[in-house]
Amino acid sequence: MKRSFGCAFVLTLAVFLFIPNAALCQDTVKVGIILPATGEKAKFGEIEKKSFEMALEEINAAGGINGKKMEFLFEDDTGRPDVARAAAEKLITKDKVVMLGGGYGSSETFAISGVAQQNRVPFLVATGSDNKITEMKWEYVFRINPPVSEYPQALESFLSEVVKPKTAAILYENTNFGSSGSKSFQETCNKIGIKVLLTEGYQHGGVDFKPMLVKVKQANPDLIYMISYIMDASLIMNQSMELKLSPKVFIGGGAGFTMPEFIKNTAKAGENVLSATLWYQTLPYPGAAEYYDKFVKRYNMDTEYHGAEGYASAQVIGDALKRAKALTPDGVREALLATDVKTVFGPVKFVSYGKMTQQNKLPTYVVQWINGKLEMVWPKDVSTKPYVFPIDWEKTWK
Amino acid sequence: MKSLYAKIAVLALLAVFPLFVGSDYYRHLVIIALMWVVIGASWNLLAGYTGQVSFGHAIFFGVGAYTAGLCTTQLGISAWWGMLLGGPAAMLVGILIGFICFRLRGAYFALATIAIAEILRLIAIVWRDFTEGMQGILIIQTFRSKVPYYYLALGIAVICMLLIYKIIKSKWGFYFIAIREDQDAAEALGISTFRYKSLSLMVSSFFTGLAGAFYMNYMGFIDPEVVFSLHFISIMAILVSIIGGAGTMWGPSVGAFIMVMLQELFRSSFFGYAPSWVSHAHAMAFGVLVILVIRFMANGVVGDWSKITNLWSKGKPAALVTNGN
Amino acid sequence: MEMFIQTLVAGILIGGVYALIGIGMTLIMGVMRIINLAHGQLMMVAMYITFVLYQFLNIDPYFALLVAPPALFLIGAAIQRYLLNPLIKIESIIPENQVLMTVGIGIVLTETIRFMFSSDYKSVKTSYSTATFNIGAISWNVPMVVAFILAVVLTASLFFFLLKTDVGKSVRATAQNKDAAMIMGINAEWITQLTYGLGAAMAAAGGTLLLPIYYLFPDVGGPFTLKAFIITILGGLGSAVGAIMGGLVLGVAESLGATYISMALKDAIGMVIFLLVLVFLPGGLKQLTKV
Repeated sequence: MKRSFGCAFVLTLAVFLFIPNAALCQDTVKVGIILPATGEKAKFGEIEKKSFEMALEEINAAGGINGKKMEFLFEDDTGRPDVARAAAEKLITKDKVVMLGGGYGSSETFAISGVAQQNRVPFLVATGSDNKITEMKWEYVFRINPPVSEYPQALESFLSEVVKPKTAAILYENTNFGSSGSKSFQETCNKIGIKVLLTEGYQHGGVDFKPMLVKVKQANPDLIYMISYIMDASLIMNQSMELKLSPKVFIGGGAGFTMPEFIKNTAKAGENVLSATLWYQTLPYPGAAEYYDKFVKRYNMDTEYHGAEGYASAQVIGDALKRAKALTPDGVREALLATDVKTVFGPVKFVSYGKMTQQNKLPTYVVQWINGKLEMVWPKDVSTKPYVFPIDWEKTWK
Repeated sequence: MKSLYAKIAVLALLAVFPLFVGSDYYRHLVIIALMWVVIGASWNLLAGYTGQVSFGHAIFFGVGAYTAGLCTTQLGISAWWGMLLGGPAAMLVGILIGFICFRLRGAYFALATIAIAEILRLIAIVWRDFTEGMQGILIIQTFRSKVPYYYLALGIAVICMLLIYKIIKSKWGFYFIAIREDQDAAEALGISTFRYKSLSLMVSSFFTGLAGAFYMNYMGFIDPEVVFSLHFISIMAILVSIIGGAGTMWGPSVGAFIMVMLQELFRSSFFGYAPSWVSHAHAMAFGVLVILVIRFMANGVVGDWSKITNLWSKGKPAALVTNGN
Repeated sequence: MEMFIQTLVAGILIGGVYALIGIGMTLIMGVMRIINLAHGQLMMVAMYITFVLYQFLNIDPYFALLVAPPALFLIGAAIQRYLLNPLIKIESIIPENQVLMTVGIGIVLTETIRFMFSSDYKSVKTSYSTATFNIGAISWNVPMVVAFILAVVLTASLFFFLLKTDVGKSVRATAQNKDAAMIMGINAEWITQLTYGLGAAMAAAGGTLLLPIYYLFPDVGGPFTLKAFIITILGGLGSAVGAIMGGLVLGVAESLGATYISMALKDAIGMVIFLLVLVFLPGGLKQLTKV
């Protein structure tokens, strides 16, 4: 009995210890990127990975890091924090990367941040949006995307200047993103004097949202705010149409509502729906439109703000590595601190404000589906089309 | 005597492992494997020895982990208190569950445990004021180095295995097996089946809860989807035991190392040697492994060790088929 | 009042879909006494078949009802024949070997589909997906009404198949006492294959009918497996009528719970009912209705 245990253990050790590193090329600068490639979150992980790869090719084609080639080592976190942690530890101790990037889900990002801080290796977060990530005063963790509490920022002015709702209902999926998002929107509502009539969380992947929507219909709010991923978002809008809900506006809190699949799956039910977003390809950032066109052409699939975050991360990483005095984790950290670069995702600078440290500060935007196309509608100075408001739902849904 | 030496040798090897291997990556993998040794052995005591197949060991893992986490967020004390409280808390839940579920047999018991685990997961998600919901509980790990965690995990694993070994060799162990073999006959012989099933569940839930509390302290982050997961905790606990050998003393330990190793090998595409699509195949590999093991080595690597060695020495695949059928 | 009735209608309609998936499970559990943890995955495979037919051959999901269930019947029978039946003869310590085998089968099915179609969400968006008609102020979704009617029809035909035909009687005999059935000359092995095949085909019908209003991805099956066994226990093993009652009770309870308690606890409500039934009414609703 015991012998087999011994064998298994020795075998484990042997396999792990004596397989040398596959990539032994010395003249590349290695950066570890951790993203979900399998599991439920794989869809967005794939968009980001492709964006990282695209940016990498461009940076290397333009001369790499002061003559050296940059190399991204991708690891799959499978959407689980303990796996993300193992991946981060592998990259740091086995592959000896100078810094880490990526980080999609908040929980996984958090696990990676902990490892990065412990090992004193800089980690540039691309997507993980929980506020806590940059509130820990961890000096090796940088974040390019706004924290979840700032997602409804642009909505605040849009609501108080245009819609002027008195009451609201908040529907959110029970995930880290949805749960923190609902809390911060609740605060936004309190701030601009909107009464929240009901807040309902749901398990994502449901077939029938009607019981929840019936309740919303009964409460009859002016505004329905939804934090949902793509398929839930589509079903909720379809079923809202079936039940003839008629608030002044339906607003999505990012994620699912800006994806092309959303309008494909909802058609007229998704028409005129608004959404908060972090990025749109028509924004006047250098390279934004080019990135979008190139991505769509090359991979024959759509990209959105997650992809832009990935691409911009690669740009920031490339920039920092070029400026780093020494290609060591600490050297790279110094360079990241001094970052001031224009990316497709907007200008990136790591600053401290509120409780956050080393956080990039960016404005957010409001988009709307108009005639089956996603249009930027707020703030006005960057809008591609005037917003549609007030909305006649009867006519839209006919 | 020989097997005693082997045990000491393996233990010694594990004890000196972090001294020779400095890489946090390998240490992390062995720590996780040791955690699964504890969970697998606990599941095995209840299912492999007592015959009560649980599909819900995530209940105890989650309760242990949340006990530790809530110590910090609700009581404001160190999560290390969870190492003391997590086991008893899980045991308490175990007693309650036994009270409800032990009147059920076989598949019904299994289904009831799934249901309870799902209910707890949903409650942990919904009760945001108490558990922080899906935002999860976060603590800062006490130690930067992995070595303390390593020896802690090793210590828990050794104590767990020793205790379970003692139990199996005692009168309890024989009662457990009697219940597994034929519950009615055991009852007829005057064994209080409810009492001994409960005892088995108590020990099992205690150690699973302890493993959960350890996970909280070691990983520093938990949320309901992670610790109450049907797939990644409850079913993983079963797979670890089945592949190593349910109803054998050392099976789950072997299974734990095999599973953690396989998972990591596949996830990293065999350290980049294999094409990258391999990393997408790790779940598939698990599935195939489960089917093959159940079909051809129903008692796992340890339980059917003789079959494997026979196969090796004779080199006759036919032997496997005849044994299998 | 309108809120209550609309909730009730939503519950009854979704209950019909649940019932369809549950009937297959109740048949399998009734005859073989194993929990089929691959049930939702079988349904998922059927959904992909329907999706492929729609996407590449432009065949309406309702016509796929003629393809997907028979295909799943074959897959199911093969699984029973080559993977589950051989286990009966194997000596092992854990009695629930077959259940664990279904876990493995479920994983392999999911991952095979993931390999072929990736994890992306797919959907079949038909012109009638969001079609509704109104009775008073209450809205009825057309595909769900169709699914409900078909669920009742399929249940009824299964009921008569089990009650009136020779093969159906053999199935019931095997369920009641396998050894006695074999002595009476029933080929029990063949019956188990037939049963598993039928169960899989029923799940396939459920999946296909769900597609116009839902979407699909490789992991879609898991939650439906849970629903299916709740219904099975609720209705009583092997009872077709019990399954449809169980489906309705589950659907209505979930909807009412979601409206009047909390949407987030919707799934927990089903689980609680399930536990209560397990403990207090071990035979399920069959116990009360006697069919």
